[in-house]
Amino acid sequence: MTSQNSQSQVLIVPCSGIGKVHGLVSREAVYQVTDKLLPGQADTVCLALLVTGDPETRQKVRQTPCITLDGCPKLCAYKNVELSGGKIAKGIRVYDTMKRHRGANFGTATALSEEGWAVVEEVAAEVVEISRQEAVT
Amino acid sequence: MNETISKVGIISCSGEEIPEGTIARQAVRRVLEGLRPQQTVTLCLPLFLAGEVGERRFASEHPTITVDGCDKLCAKRGTEQFSGAVNTSLVVTDILGGPARGCHRSTRHADKADEQAIWLVAERVAAEVDALAAADVPTDLTEVPATSGEVCACGRPSPDGKLEVNGKSVIINGLPLIFEHLQKNGLQPGNGSADTLLETVRIYHPIEPEEEAAYRQALADAYQRYC
Repeated sequence: MTSQNSQSQVLIVPCSGIGKVHGLVSREAVYQVTDKLLPGQADTVCLALLVTGDPETRQKVRQTPCITLDGCPKLCAYKNVELSGGKIAKGIRVYDTMKRHRGANFGTATALSEEGWAVVEEVAAEVVEISRQEAVT
Repeated sequence: MNETISKVGIISCSGEEIPEGTIARQAVRRVLEGLRPQQTVTLCLPLFLAGEVGERRFASEHPTITVDGCDKLCAKRGTEQFSGAVNTSLVVTDILGGPARGCHRSTRHADKADEQAIWLVAERVAAEVDALAAADVPTDLTEVPATSGEVCACGRPSPDGKLEVNGKSVIINGLPLIFEHLQKNGLQPGNGSADTLLETVRIYHPIEPEEEAAYRQALADAYQRYC
């Protein structure tokens, strides 16, 4: 399991939603931040590793401020980080962001449309903002 | 309307850290949407912890296949820990014969390497679905909506591929995905495409020898319209 930077200032944990477009938007927003907007400063972990109780991953979420991105009201990412004793700086409900674009076609759970990628950028910008606030505090 | 049928459950690892996680999810989506939409259901793995009792009964209600991205086997271990026994455990790196070289975590950067890896994994998952269906693995509960190709916290029905053959409407699982795959591989529409279309579709859909000519023409026409 590779981690880009063990000294990351923030961990961004998306839901693993596989049934609808919301999960894909969440994950792509994470990659936009970790790979493009805040490389070396932000990282992610596999949510499934937390679910299975992986000690190294638990340690990471306990030591590093986490921003969770959830695609549905079941809040899997938020709840699993919380259950693992993680430090949650902010829980973002991606579906609330998407509601602000009522009527838009975001694509599918397999591939995003242009409107879907636009929401990815919007969510990623919010994550960057919160990450910077965390870095200051 | 419900009917009593036994669907195969497929649980994908979340694998956000690695490209193999994305391949696992995309391959599972391909099976749910296109290759075996009527025979399969899924659930988000983290729902075993975040969800309710109903979600934790998933593996006892369905013969279950897990698809893991790496040898940590989170999907298999998580399912067995919180839900029930797994019938088949697949690992992307085993199917591909090693790490997914040249593949990407983000679908934004997906290219031919990603596409080929996804197809390989999806076809293996579909084969395992068929094997479980043929073995008629018993389940504790099998009351599931017959109309949905996928079930999850936020699921919706999957599309089918309809084709007119000899005046009859037939459904070919995964036809849009097959067209998409062949188009990306450069197959040009026209009579020259008919044999390739027929041989590819035959993998997923039985075609009797006496129906070949009709299928060949119908597929060539449909592919022409698709392109």
